[in-house]
Amino acid sequence: MSGLILKLRRFEGVTGFLAFLLMTCGLYLGLVTSPPDFYQGEIVRIMYIHVPFAKTALLAYTLLFAGSLWYLWRRDPVVDNLCHAAAGISFFFTLIALITGAIWAKPAWGTWWSWDPKLTAFLILWMVEAGYLMLRTMIEDAEQRARYAAIVAIVGFVDLPIVYLAAEWWRTLHQPLSISTRGLSLSREMLTPLALMSIGLDVLLMYLLMIRTQMLYLEHLFAAKQGRLLAHRLRDRHEATDPNE
Amino acid sequence: MRSFNLLYWILWKDILSEIRNRAALVSMLFFALNIILIFSVSFSMSDLEEMMPGLIWTAFGFTAVIGLSTSFVAETHNQCLEYYRLLPTPKGMIYLGKLCGNLLFIVIVGLALLPLFVLFLGLHVRQLSWLIAVVFLGALGLANLGTLFSALTVNLRAREVLFPLLLLPLSVPVFIGATEATAGILRGAPQAAYRHWLDLLGIFDLIFTLLSFWMFEWILDE
Repeated sequence: MSGLILKLRRFEGVTGFLAFLLMTCGLYLGLVTSPPDFYQGEIVRIMYIHVPFAKTALLAYTLLFAGSLWYLWRRDPVVDNLCHAAAGISFFFTLIALITGAIWAKPAWGTWWSWDPKLTAFLILWMVEAGYLMLRTMIEDAEQRARYAAIVAIVGFVDLPIVYLAAEWWRTLHQPLSISTRGLSLSREMLTPLALMSIGLDVLLMYLLMIRTQMLYLEHLFAAKQGRLLAHRLRDRHEATDPNE
Repeated sequence: MRSFNLLYWILWKDILSEIRNRAALVSMLFFALNIILIFSVSFSMSDLEEMMPGLIWTAFGFTAVIGLSTSFVAETHNQCLEYYRLLPTPKGMIYLGKLCGNLLFIVIVGLALLPLFVLFLGLHVRQLSWLIAVVFLGALGLANLGTLFSALTVNLRAREVLFPLLLLPLSVPVFIGATEATAGILRGAPQAAYRHWLDLLGIFDLIFTLLSFWMFEWILDE
């Protein structure tokens, strides 16, 4: 796996540039040239930020889940670095999706927050990721940390569809949404920037994952090296003061 | 067969140690009493009827967190976990043994909560057998994830903080299902009206018993 990272390093610059290009085009088309929505007017433009971030956050969490399974199977420390990177990125993307969602919901639904299944599931996703990242900071042993974190990620991934299902049943029995989001079918002028932003963010995710995984991997190497140096120094000092020598 | 013996002995050990020091049950019951006290001073009695299912499950949920969070602490004394690692049986059986013990204790506390609610908050119990079934299914859901995360956080510095942070968001389906089913039962609705909530609890319990059974192998791994 560390060989793969070295190979992928060559494409790092290209990936970053591609993400920048796609997102710039997507934002320009979305914010400037695309038409306002018939019902929602200019408010709809937040969709070009909100929807891609939400989709990419889910993609990152799916990668985290796959990586966690892979880690438990093969115990590759680089995969653990990848999982850690994916969790951090997914955490921030989910947060952005939640915040932009609340900003969109205020004018569209008349309220900042509603306990609709998607919102509930995203909030739980965010809390699970927060728990995952906190757990990682609290375990010293690298191997145990990776194993326990993988377990939390897998349990969370299995839980999310059930949260969605429960919230859906709960909502449909209590009250229907005041404004359905389903009635919004997209024209080509709106679909193009949305697709560009979505793909752009996916590429950005790949770019961030590469950078962050390398960083975490180097930190891991650095910690190991520091440990070795410390051990050497302690041994030298021990030998210097040892009266038997 | 040896695996089931192990399950039995772990359960028996937990029951015996609980009979001897009564630490978990007594602390859970007094915690529940405290929550009920807070409820009765912070809500007016007139609109309690509507909120009763939510109050029952809030009290029960937090009480279960208190009991479950310390479930593995006793196993860290005298390197008990090390001995568990050496056992030749599947590690999941240790999980099932601990799960049965935890389930037993929190079901006892859940059933003790109901008379307290009747006494202090004026709960009108209807369809008692179904209410007990909901308490059992909800308790199993909480005990499943609780036992898994209790084993996971037992050696951590901030165990008391992290345990509820991991457990509570993931048990949201249990709280939704159990609260809605309890609401149906207390309204005296026909069984068909809340049947699907029992199904949801059952599905959740089944999935997470199997998943935790499987995951426990990696918790005790070295």
